[in-house]
Amino acid sequence: MPRNFTLNVNGAARTVDADPGSPLLYALRDNLGLHGPKFGCGLGECGACTVVMNGNAIRSCVTPVSAVGNAMITTLEGLGSIDNPHPLQKAFIEEQAAQCGYCINGMIMSAKALLDRTPHPSRDDITLALDGNLCRCGTHMRILRAIERAARQGA
Amino acid sequence: MSGREMECAAAGLGRRDFLHASGGLVIAFSLFGAADATLAETADAATRSLAPPPAGRLYAWLAVHPDNTATLFTGKVETGTGVATALAQIAAEELDFPLDRLDVVMGTTSETVDQGPSYGSRTIRYAGPQIRHAAAAGREALLGLAAAHFQVSANQLATGDGAISVAGKPDRTITYGRLVDGNRLNIEIGASGERFAMHVAPNVRTKDPSTYRIVGRPVRRKDIPGKMTGQFTYVQDVRIPGMLHGRVVRPYGVGATLASVDETGLKDIPGFVRVVRRDNFLGVVAETEWGAIQAAAKLGSTLDPSGPDAGQAKWSRWEGLPEMERIWETVRKTAGRNSTVASRGSVEAALSNAVRTLKATYRTPFQMHGSIGPSCAIADVQGDRATFWSGTQMPHQTRHDMAKLLGIPLEKTELRWFEASGGYGRNGLDHAVADAAVMSQAAGRPVRVQWMRWDEHGWEPKGPPIVQDLLGALDKNGRVIAWRHHMWVPTTGDTHLIAAELIGKPDVTGATGLGRPAVTYAYRFANADVAGHGEGRVGLLTAWLRSPAQFETTFAMESFIDELAAAAGQDALQFRLAHLEDPRAIGVLKAAAGKYGWESRPIGAGKPDGSGKPDGSGKPARGRGIAWVNRDDVRVATIADVTVDRSNGAIKVGRVVVAHDCGLVVNPDGLRNQVEGNVIQSLSRTLHEEVAFDRAHVTSRDWMGYPILRFTEIPDSIDVVLVNSGPEYPAYGAGEPATCPTAAVIGNAIFDAIGARLRQTPFRPERVKAAINA
Repeated sequence: MPRNFTLNVNGAARTVDADPGSPLLYALRDNLGLHGPKFGCGLGECGACTVVMNGNAIRSCVTPVSAVGNAMITTLEGLGSIDNPHPLQKAFIEEQAAQCGYCINGMIMSAKALLDRTPHPSRDDITLALDGNLCRCGTHMRILRAIERAARQGA
Repeated sequence: MSGREMECAAAGLGRRDFLHASGGLVIAFSLFGAADATLAETADAATRSLAPPPAGRLYAWLAVHPDNTATLFTGKVETGTGVATALAQIAAEELDFPLDRLDVVMGTTSETVDQGPSYGSRTIRYAGPQIRHAAAAGREALLGLAAAHFQVSANQLATGDGAISVAGKPDRTITYGRLVDGNRLNIEIGASGERFAMHVAPNVRTKDPSTYRIVGRPVRRKDIPGKMTGQFTYVQDVRIPGMLHGRVVRPYGVGATLASVDETGLKDIPGFVRVVRRDNFLGVVAETEWGAIQAAAKLGSTLDPSGPDAGQAKWSRWEGLPEMERIWETVRKTAGRNSTVASRGSVEAALSNAVRTLKATYRTPFQMHGSIGPSCAIADVQGDRATFWSGTQMPHQTRHDMAKLLGIPLEKTELRWFEASGGYGRNGLDHAVADAAVMSQAAGRPVRVQWMRWDEHGWEPKGPPIVQDLLGALDKNGRVIAWRHHMWVPTTGDTHLIAAELIGKPDVTGATGLGRPAVTYAYRFANADVAGHGEGRVGLLTAWLRSPAQFETTFAMESFIDELAAAAGQDALQFRLAHLEDPRAIGVLKAAAGKYGWESRPIGAGKPDGSGKPDGSGKPARGRGIAWVNRDDVRVATIADVTVDRSNGAIKVGRVVVAHDCGLVVNPDGLRNQVEGNVIQSLSRTLHEEVAFDRAHVTSRDWMGYPILRFTEIPDSIDVVLVNSGPEYPAYGAGEPATCPTAAVIGNAIFDAIGARLRQTPFRPERVKAAINA
């Protein structure tokens, strides 16, 4: 079976050596050193591993690397950086919307897919879009405010 | 490259982070007097001292760099509560230094002083003053250097924003960085005592709190930009050259023994290296994470193993756990130690004057920390030397524990601390280090262990089940004349290590403490009998879970007070105030009520007919609840509105108001973040959380089996009112007190709405429906 896969990650073609059945998450984290997506459950239940693939927020922990093909993958790093943050990242910083921050990758990436589809979401749109993303520190109120702020600012 | 550099490079740290990390290095190397960094780096791993720096020397706390940045070193660690920033504020305040140029190095045992574990809401309270004094001593030392530099006396100098000027002569100014000129701050400041009780620079003069400019100001947390962009390095992100990936294979039954391991097919897994077996400890190591996961799965590490011989590792059939449905009977029967919290008058004698006597039993289950990122650590054991990378909440203690576990000299061990996913007490982090240590010792290479979700859910130490009996009596005026509260609390702090138990050395380190009656008896009843029965381990390993046991005791105490108030036909707030003398308790209750707009009325009288019974409209019922706590000198009062859907038992929380008195608040926005987090996490524990187990093991092995609160269930709003938060008060700590009132608040609000009393958490819909129909 082939072990080399060329992935389209954050706008660049990246080749990884990986077991075909292995989840995309490990290719991103271990092969490409992209630590935005996190291992949370490996079961698609918590959302910490979320990346955007062809516009959809998907769980990279249950997506086999062999199933990715030519899809466009965006990770948290693909949005922006400390020096040049994406409007969503900026809004999260302005609202101080994190405690431990381990879940936040999933929150921002799920919000990215939502806002690309629905630029002016209602509060219910947001809570529904994020209902599969778990936060244990209880930062929910701030995360909501951050996404609303980003939407207002046209993220 | 030095080890630290490699790990930084491997971990993808940015230039700024590296600069700060290397700032720490300079300090460590200069212990040997090496002025040249290159020379020092080559000397690194083999010769540098791994002992913590001496607390009485200024360089143990502070380094000032030539570019006029500075580093604060602290043995305390960040767990997501924002203490890194708050401690930096305290240091910057006393040092007169710009906060954005002050970095913080936490936890790494060779670079920081042991200030005790970061738990129990104790960091700002105890480490705050230690750092305040160290920084004040730093400012004094810098003034001394400047006095020599300018040839003036120190009292002619003024500090400000990282520079020192001669008074009235602004052209005669020098930055701290130029003054220190790359030197280590090798100055005796004095220190006595240990950990929480340590006094640092006891004779130094600290600032008059009324002049604070940085402490008490809401500032943005230093860690958040990196966390929002994937540039922050969690312990889960650290990579060490030559590192293997390890996964544990836990026994099927908690106390099972390992009968055999069939390694057939493991060699065919790409990257597989070897099985690590030592007595009942079983794990695998591989070159890749996926290889380790696949190998562990073959041996039996899966979400839903069907039995002790489902995998290629065969375990004995062990079914020694107590019965889940009757766990509270087990708790009562476990022998422990009785202790008295309050004994006043005679409850028995008072009962003869009672017009109404109530009795109730409250039950709370095993609950878990439930960190979103499973526990993770790296160990590199090479002969009698070892290095650990961990996010533990107690780095210095864990270093000691690992030396004992491995049987190697303490002075040859180092723990390098990196933040982990939030821990909320003591989750699996310390156990993961032990797993990594055992596997690295066997494999002879660095091993990174990350627990799978089912390892974390199944094996992290839990908060224990607690049962409490209450009795209260009212006189004809509706006053409480007798109060009895007896609680059975298993240990909340069992520090035995899982790996140590599995390798057959269960007592090499750790202890099973007895449970404490974690309650502050605060009401002034004429006759009171409050007592605890502290038990040892009951079934599952337990450890501190946010507000250990006091979340549970507050649930019972503040629900039962409500029962008495309702029986007396009184208002929930007025009834409490009538039995309280503590001004800070009264203060937070009134502050919360004021913010909420509380109007007095009997409990249950919010409905048109005042009956608390269904009004026949079929509409969801609305209610409000109030409760408060005194947790380690912090007072918190919470009020919440709930809606109860009688048709399905669903609870929706509307508005929440919290009044919080923890004394001096260092970063008000950080504190609000904590209070909101406490409310939501404790609401989750109130509505959803119960660890399920059969006679062999925990069966809540993922988020389906242990649901927590989701976005669609959060309150409409959380208002936080800060009380007595100014600089004239000491800081009491705020990491967990706001957890305590929530279960009682929600239970009281449900009673107010529907007249049904819930005395067992979680308040899942089926339990609410059962209470409605009872």
